[in-house]
Amino acid sequence: MTKDDGEMVEEQKKKPCRFWIWALSSVLFRLILISYAGNLNLSSRPEVSTPLTSIRRLAEGYWLKQASMSPYAGSMYHGSPLLLSLLGPLTVQRLVAETSSNDLKLCFNLVEFKKEDTLDVSGSKGNQVTSFADILSAILLRGIGKKLQMAYGLNARLLGLLKSPRDKGILPCGDIAALVYLWNPFTIVCCVGLSTSPIENLAVILALNGAVTRRVPLAAFGLVMATHLSLYPAILTIPVIFLLGYGLDAPPLKLFLQTRNVESGNRSSTSSASKQAKSKPTAQLPFLWKTVVHFVFWALVWSLCVMVLCRLSLSKHGGLEEMFKRTYGFILSIEDLSPNIGVFWYFFAEVFDFFRNFFLIVFHVNILFMLLPLAIRLKHRPCFLAFIYLAISSLLKSYPSVGDSALYLSLWALFVNELADMKFSFFLFCGYLGVSLLSPVMHNLWIWRGTGNANFYFGNAIGYACFQIVFVVESVSAMLNHDRALKKCNPNHQKVKN
Amino acid sequence: IFFGKRKKMKNLTLVVMLLCYSFASSSGDSTIHTNNWAVLVCTSRFWFNYRHMANTLSLYRTVKRLGIPDERIILMLADDMACNSRNQYPAQVDYRGYEVTVENFLRVLTGRHENAVPRSKRLLSDEGSHILLYMTGHGGDEFLKFQDAEELQSHDLADAELLIMVDTCQAATLFNQLQSPGVLAIGSSLKGENSYSHHLDSDIGVSVVDRFTYYTLAFFERLNIYDNASLNRSYDPRQLMSTAYYRTDLYQPHLSEVPVTNFFGSVMETIHTDSAYHAFSSRISNSKIKSDTPFNQPFNQLSEQDVKEDLQNTNNQNDELKTEKQKCPYSEMRADLHEKLKKIENVDTMVNLSIAVMILVVMVSSSLL
Repeated sequence: MTKDDGEMVEEQKKKPCRFWIWALSSVLFRLILISYAGNLNLSSRPEVSTPLTSIRRLAEGYWLKQASMSPYAGSMYHGSPLLLSLLGPLTVQRLVAETSSNDLKLCFNLVEFKKEDTLDVSGSKGNQVTSFADILSAILLRGIGKKLQMAYGLNARLLGLLKSPRDKGILPCGDIAALVYLWNPFTIVCCVGLSTSPIENLAVILALNGAVTRRVPLAAFGLVMATHLSLYPAILTIPVIFLLGYGLDAPPLKLFLQTRNVESGNRSSTSSASKQAKSKPTAQLPFLWKTVVHFVFWALVWSLCVMVLCRLSLSKHGGLEEMFKRTYGFILSIEDLSPNIGVFWYFFAEVFDFFRNFFLIVFHVNILFMLLPLAIRLKHRPCFLAFIYLAISSLLKSYPSVGDSALYLSLWALFVNELADMKFSFFLFCGYLGVSLLSPVMHNLWIWRGTGNANFYFGNAIGYACFQIVFVVESVSAMLNHDRALKKCNPNHQKVKN
Repeated sequence: IFFGKRKKMKNLTLVVMLLCYSFASSSGDSTIHTNNWAVLVCTSRFWFNYRHMANTLSLYRTVKRLGIPDERIILMLADDMACNSRNQYPAQVDYRGYEVTVENFLRVLTGRHENAVPRSKRLLSDEGSHILLYMTGHGGDEFLKFQDAEELQSHDLADAELLIMVDTCQAATLFNQLQSPGVLAIGSSLKGENSYSHHLDSDIGVSVVDRFTYYTLAFFERLNIYDNASLNRSYDPRQLMSTAYYRTDLYQPHLSEVPVTNFFGSVMETIHTDSAYHAFSSRISNSKIKSDTPFNQPFNQLSEQDVKEDLQNTNNQNDELKTEKQKCPYSEMRADLHEKLKKIENVDTMVNLSIAVMILVVMVSSSLL
């Protein structure tokens, strides 16, 4: 036993070092890309920058604000005014004054620079912010993963499936998820291409981390900020409330009820499900109302702060109403039909005006319809529920980008232990790879060479949507199969014991 | 399509002279005319549109001769005859060939360029500029054709704060949509009429100039820099073979009071001063001009006056607010808050500070609770 202990301790010491080595090398890779891959033009690609996340639009909004106009004038910027005041100054670059004499100018038409503020879309300051956001998200993901891994090990031991007191054989899902997030080409591309998706992803991960580690103000802050930046994380209220009320992901309560006769250990557990199973013979999970009320209070406090700050920054330009109309209104009404990797732009370009509102309602309600059934089916696994919600919203949102995929792919990696038997994983991997390689090609063929047309690019977007749908469906079924497999294991185990 | 037109000598030439006044915030009369700009556009390519190129280039020569320097001329030619290596006096063509598009033209007029566009391609006019915009090409009822592929319509021009003189086939229609004040419109032909070319050169086999431009240039050839001829010249309808049309309802000064050299030449007031020359700060920056020379004082005074006026206005408003709402203490507080908000100049730093404070509170509370 001591030898095992020693080995385990050494391994555990090595793992953090290896994690940090990989994390820092990903930052290095980003720096290399930033310095040497300028002609990739990542910030102008529709996959990376949408009307909501584009840094150029943010710079334009900031310029308008500096010129004492409303930042939403001209329908360029559609984001939060807080982000504008934080990131705006980073987009401004001052050119050094150079003069050339007039005679030379006539002959050679030299250009004269003047000391004025210009847009610095390729600047390194913005890249520092996005890289920092990425690293922070990775660290928070690691925290979430550690908790989930502990809970998984604990539940496995409680169910009698795991005999040793160490987490042997359980994959370190925190490290894996963090490294998947850092090394995902989608994340790297968003970081180097200076979109605001890393910041939105950070807010979502902050909310999940707060909920998982039971830090209520943090969870409330993350959720409020995420909703403020882009509307869709509002649906994460349900999984966050479940996380705070019911606790972490655990197998269904019935399994614990079945094993309570077998288990007689006195170990403390973090999962309220197992405690409940031991004390009362009811089949209901307890819901911690106190924490949830606490969460609601903090959410209200943070939303009030955010509203006040927005009102302050937009006091001269129309106030909150203008902000809501231009941010949430823009998201919900899909005014901008420039191509992206989603499927709505193509559809709304040809729909008749008479039916436009109807189809808008249909597409947005499509997300809302899925919330309730999934919540009912997966309420014992709130973290997984959050992952599914994020995947669905990034599939069906108005202006998707690869930054959203980066987020849910890394959350998927948090569940490697449960989703080890997922079907079609290789097919999906190849699908994602193919789609992401073909997308810039089709865009180039359509826009720049003129030899393709919108159907090429849209076909690619449809393929991407199909792969995402298969991914979501397969992960849900894999998780439910895992629960069923646990249930099957248990009676056998009971029979053996008895 | 155009061969038939060439034979019938029906050509649509567009002479759009756009005079741009940007008024200071107080009143238009206090604007000092400091410089002239010229934007000369030829929108037709190909050999049979030689006369359009010649129109533009002859006007280029005219405005250069009357004093506008090359730095303040933006020349857009859709076809490159001026830069031919056989040409002894090459023109400084700023937009050539396929760069002459409606988008680039509107970018020049509105000043919204990308970063990389050099200064020679930008219209850097200010409050004291008069701008001559000359466009020639094919046009029709409420549009001007750009290079066979796109068109500039009358409502595109109307959005600019411009003085428009349009001389084209059915010229009067192109300024139907104009509504901005300070716009003078002179057209060479009414709706349904054509503007014609002047003469044919048998050596090159195409028409070389259009009638309206020909008579305009003939008028200018007789001028020099110091002449005082006014804009109120009449065009002979028999010579033009079309009816010139003046639209003066939007323009304040009378035509006979406006000297031609206000727009076509570069006559500037010189003010003799003994003090040292201080460079202008950028007109875009918010800082006040700090120079003491008398030449700069009018601008300085204007901006100071504006600031004083604004402050007075806000003070008046605040006084009114106070007297109205003195009854309710809550609304008094709100009014005070509003006043303070208005006085805070740097809202941005305050917002940033508050965000930082919020994040601190989050970290503290999440570690404590």
